[in-house]
Amino acid sequence: MDPSAPDSTRHGVAGIAATATAAVAFAACLVGWRTGGGAVDWPWVPALGLRLDLAFDGLGALYALLATGIGTVVFAYGTAYLPRHLAHEHRPAGDARRFWPWMVLFMGAMVGLACARDLILLFVFFDLTAVASYFLIGFDRNKREARGAALMALLITGVSAVALLIGAVLLYDEYGTFELTALFEAARPTTNTAIASALIAVAALAKSAQVPLHFWLPRAMAAPTPVSAYLHSAAMVAAGVLVIGRVHPLLARSDVVLDGLVVVGLASIVIGGLIALAQDELKQILAHSTISQYGYVVVLYGIGGEAGLGGAALYVLTHAIAKSALFMTAGAVTEATGESRLSHLGGLRRDLPVLAVASGVAAATLAALPLTLGFFKDELFFKAAEGEGPALQVLAVLAAALTFAYIGRFWLGLFTGRRRTAAQPIPALLVVPIVVLAVVAVVGGVFVRPFADLASEAASVTYGSALSAHPAYHPDLRAENVMALSAWALGVVLLLLPRVLASVAAAVARAGDLLGPRRAYRGALRGINQLSHRLHDLEVRDLRTSLAAVLVPGGALIALGFAVTPTAGAYSVGPIEAGDIPIIALLLLAVAAGVTAARDPGRLRPVLALGVLGFALAAVYAAIGAPDVALVAVVVEAILTLVFVGVFSRLPRTAGRRRGRWRARRNVIAGIVAGLGAFATIWAALSRPASEQSVAETHIALADEAHGGDVVTVILADFRGFDTLVEITVLAVAIIGVAALLRRGRPW
Amino acid sequence: MSVVLEIIAPRLLGPAVMVAAAIIVKGYADVGDGFSAGVIVATAIALRYVVLGADRTERGLPILRRAPIFIAAGLLLSLAVASIGPLRGQPPLTHVPAAGEHVVHLGTLELITAVAFDLGVFLLVTASLVVLVHNLARLTERARS
Repeated sequence: MDPSAPDSTRHGVAGIAATATAAVAFAACLVGWRTGGGAVDWPWVPALGLRLDLAFDGLGALYALLATGIGTVVFAYGTAYLPRHLAHEHRPAGDARRFWPWMVLFMGAMVGLACARDLILLFVFFDLTAVASYFLIGFDRNKREARGAALMALLITGVSAVALLIGAVLLYDEYGTFELTALFEAARPTTNTAIASALIAVAALAKSAQVPLHFWLPRAMAAPTPVSAYLHSAAMVAAGVLVIGRVHPLLARSDVVLDGLVVVGLASIVIGGLIALAQDELKQILAHSTISQYGYVVVLYGIGGEAGLGGAALYVLTHAIAKSALFMTAGAVTEATGESRLSHLGGLRRDLPVLAVASGVAAATLAALPLTLGFFKDELFFKAAEGEGPALQVLAVLAAALTFAYIGRFWLGLFTGRRRTAAQPIPALLVVPIVVLAVVAVVGGVFVRPFADLASEAASVTYGSALSAHPAYHPDLRAENVMALSAWALGVVLLLLPRVLASVAAAVARAGDLLGPRRAYRGALRGINQLSHRLHDLEVRDLRTSLAAVLVPGGALIALGFAVTPTAGAYSVGPIEAGDIPIIALLLLAVAAGVTAARDPGRLRPVLALGVLGFALAAVYAAIGAPDVALVAVVVEAILTLVFVGVFSRLPRTAGRRRGRWRARRNVIAGIVAGLGAFATIWAALSRPASEQSVAETHIALADEAHGGDVVTVILADFRGFDTLVEITVLAVAIIGVAALLRRGRPW
Repeated sequence: MSVVLEIIAPRLLGPAVMVAAAIIVKGYADVGDGFSAGVIVATAIALRYVVLGADRTERGLPILRRAPIFIAAGLLLSLAVASIGPLRGQPPLTHVPAAGEHVVHLGTLELITAVAFDLGVFLLVTASLVVLVHNLARLTERARS
């Protein structure tokens, strides 16, 4: 018996649970969609205008159904794929627990993103998908390639997500709300609004891997196949166009932004499509195809209007179904043959007939052949292009021809021709999900109605009023049909000229490498790394530098502040009364202790002197009537002294090292700068008693009403309770940090 | 370490916990809060670490092993109290009973959610400091061996 067998069964449960979760979520979304959805609006921090505004409307339904539906299918595939993958990589089956939680979290974040109607909420879910994708793309963390790819995806999509946040803040600054429905009503076509919406669009385009921020997606193919089939077809890249669909009325305030979308989309279609033609790795072909396909969606959003928005929604739906099936095909083929390059594969239709048919349907869907759902996506695309004049019409046909050619090359190369690598049998669960998606695509090709309904409802949300995008078969020579026919014809021609095509595509790929943005990314990363190394050397080389890094700039900033503010009356010396004498005595004790701590060369005596200093100050607090502060000072001082003594008593004895003269003098200078700064600040603060309308008065008055006798405690637990909550959270996070640094993440 | 300390250190935890309990119970009406109470208990535990070493301390007080759980529990308790307000349609950290309403007293203890919040802070602060001291002790011991 294999000793790990019960173990692997146990880890298989996680995958099955994830699949079941996705299936239940899908069913819930389906019910929610059919019963008309619903909305939650809960102002959780009203003072900052933050609301939990979630609506399961048409747009939410479309993307939530995609995230859960494709999720169910891909998760099922993953339950068969992941154990094999882990075995190939010689990793324990238990590593599955590093996989499934992130997949489920990703699905949850996608559903949340789909329903969010608040810009801050959009940002939060947007980043949540980025974080989950980081761990999923970098799942094979023993591979340098995978780690680099994960970091690149996180940086490109995460840094550009900051643009979304900046856009949101700009809009809040102008209209005083983060809520999209309110923004749509209030927004005027001003430059500020245009800049804000352009920033949001940048974040969305980076997420959808559009030129020139597309290069993270091909690298992200280092991820295991289920991740690609989910994130890089239906989820992560779809998050970008989802945001565009959600904020489209804002983008539509500016023609420049919309035209920018069309240009970026067309560039992505052409560049992605051409490079896809030249790739040899199966997943690379599909990754570049994704760049190109989301280019279509971006173009449709740029065109806007009923045709454009309806087309965009149906396009996302169709593409997600087809592309995840194709990614899973690539994974299944690689599992069966051990080969992932198209030039080493061929003739697999005899070994894998079911897979050949199912993925053939998926490829036909992407190529927009009739009797598949894909036909309608192109019909709407051509219809939208038709309204924009002949130039866009020609480009649309070229784009569709490119798609036809590269996906034709992919499928024909895999399943026809001479058999180059023999295929081993693979488990049914690696094929069934693809068949399911193929059946959905064919059903959609015959009964397009429910799919068109879903897309129309989503587009209505984007459009702001009801619209209906209902494609159908029209057996006549209308423009859409002519364009489709010419696209197929051109695609066949492209397929028959492989050599010309390959050289063109290779030239594009080379040009992209030479002046491409990937080079800029690498350069920027290296530069930032060097800068960080320098700062590190300056700041945290040893304890001394890290203290100086805080104290010296602090003192210098205070000096600067005093230089530019008028200081008349800021430094007054008050009278000394009889009651002040105990305080003065305590302060003199503190000064003596401070001098001892600074001058004593020993180890334990300075610590004890510091303790004396602290207790003296605590006594001062008690004397001037601040018992709460005094209590905290006493207990903190006690535990700090104790820990110091405990650590120092265990350190090995070392002979006192002679410091260089320059270093000794540098310490003195740093101490004087910091000390003078603190001295000046405290004197100035004490010279100006707090104004009469201090918040303290209100707090004291209210404390009684809040059932408190001790004002400080009431402030901590009630009036400023939110601060306390955040502070203890920071404390918990700091402990996690300590555990991570000292004990490699073990909590104990 | 001196014999006197070795005898006193383990016996200080009881009084420290008593003081902490008194501070929390009286906290809302008198000086002191969950933070001070937590540091007092942690000081007593830290004294044991310093005097007896990490191994003997943790063998004598197996509950210390659960410190990470107490951190989470304290945070969750505070969060739970904070979310009572939103659940009742009020801003977070609105305490029950509200201002001006009648409060049940058990001796000096006021039954008010603010005290529960303070208890969460106490748990988190105590357990965090224990984890820190534990890590420091293990670190210095590793450095010595």
